[in-house]
Amino acid sequence: MSDFKVIILTFDTLRAIGLRSIFDTTFGVSAFIADEHYFGSFSTTKEPHLFFVDLDILVANLGFFLPRKSKTVLLTEDRTSNDDFPTLCINDSESDIINTISTFLTGGHEEEQITTNTLSQREIEVLRLIASGRINKEIAQELNISINTVLSHRKNITAKLGIKSISGLTFYAMMNGII
Amino acid sequence: MTLINKDSKLSEIIIHDPSTITVLDRFGIALGVGDARISDACQEHDIDVNFFTTILNTYINESYFPQAALLAFSTSKIIDYLEKTYEYYERNVIPNIERHFAFLISKTPSKNSNLVLMRQFFDEVKTELLQRIDDDRNNWFPGIALNEMKAIGKMPNPVKDCEDFNDPIEEKIDDLINMLVMHLKGDYDHNLGYAVVTAIFSLKKDIKQNNRIRNRILTPISQALSNK
Repeated sequence: MSDFKVIILTFDTLRAIGLRSIFDTTFGVSAFIADEHYFGSFSTTKEPHLFFVDLDILVANLGFFLPRKSKTVLLTEDRTSNDDFPTLCINDSESDIINTISTFLTGGHEEEQITTNTLSQREIEVLRLIASGRINKEIAQELNISINTVLSHRKNITAKLGIKSISGLTFYAMMNGII
Repeated sequence: MTLINKDSKLSEIIIHDPSTITVLDRFGIALGVGDARISDACQEHDIDVNFFTTILNTYINESYFPQAALLAFSTSKIIDYLEKTYEYYERNVIPNIERHFAFLISKTPSKNSNLVLMRQFFDEVKTELLQRIDDDRNNWFPGIALNEMKAIGKMPNPVKDCEDFNDPIEEKIDDLINMLVMHLKGDYDHNLGYAVVTAIFSLKKDIKQNNRIRNRILTPISQALSNK
C-alpha cells in the first residue's frame, strides 16, 4: 500500500494527527495533513486516492469534492449518514474507526492496483534491454515507444519485482533466463 | 520506545531492541551490563553522555533525528563514531553475511543457480560498500579534520539544508532483500535462508542510520568547511 495516498483536511489538529497515526501504524499508508491552501496548489497529476474532510471544508469546496464523490469521506461527530458522501464518525471507538477505514481502503480502488505480479511480454523486453545496459532513450528508440512509456514500464517492473537498481534488475534477468 | 536519557537502564534498552548491542559495542560496552544506567556506563568508559544518548535515540527511533543537537557535537566525535561503525561492518557484518551465504549454498542439496547469483549480487554490494569505507577513511575524513584545524576558532555554520538522497548502496541492499524474499526458489535449507535474510536486514538497518549521520551531519559540516 506504499503508493496509496490519503489527504486529511480538517482544522482540528489533534483529529488530523490521530487519523494520520491510524493510517500509518495500522495500514502502513502515508496520510498527509493539509489546510485550506491545499486547493490552490492542487495538481491532478498527483491525484490522491482518498480524502478525509470536515463538513465546513467540504461545503466550502463542493465544486472540488462532488466530482470526487467516490473517494471522499466526510468526518462527522455523530453517526448521522449523509446522502452524498460516506462518513466516518470520529467519536466511534478506535476499533470501529479502523473497521470503517478498512472498508474505504479496500473498496473501489482495485483498478489502480497492479493485478498480477508477473511481467508482461513488453515489460520482459524492456527488462532485457535494461539488463543489457541500454539507457531509457535507447530503449524507447529500439521498441519504438516514447520515453514516458519506457518510464512507466520501468515503474511497473520495479513495483512487480521489488527491484530498483540496474544491477539488481540485471541479476534478476540472469536468474530467469531473460538474458 | 520512548526517548532514552542518562537515567535509562542499559539492560532495558537492549531487551527492547537487541540490535543496540552492536551500537553499545562501538562505545566499548559489552554484554553483561548488570543494572547500570547510561550515566554510570558513560562515566566508567569515559563517554560523552549527551553524544551517547543522542546516537542511541536516533538508532532506536527511526523518526527521531535531532539534526541541530548532532551538528553541535565535535566533528571528531562524529567521525570517530562512523569509523567504529565501518570497523563493525568490516569485522562483523560483512563476514557474517558471507558465512551464512556460504553455508546456505554448501548445504543446498541440488545446485541452485538463483542463490549463486544472489551471492554474486551481494559481492557487488560489498565491493561498493568497502570502496566507500576506504574513500571516507583515507580521503574524506582526513580532509575534514585538516580543514577543521585550519578553521580553528572560527568554525563556520554548517549548511543545514542537505536532503536525504537515494543512496545506491541502500537501494541495492533493498533489492537483495526483495530478491531473497520474493524470488528465491528451488531447493534450499530454510533455516539457513532465514539466517541470510536476517543478517542482511541488520546491515540494512545499520546503514540506513549510518547514512543519516553521514549525509545529514558530516556532509553539511564538510561542505561548510570547504566553502570557507
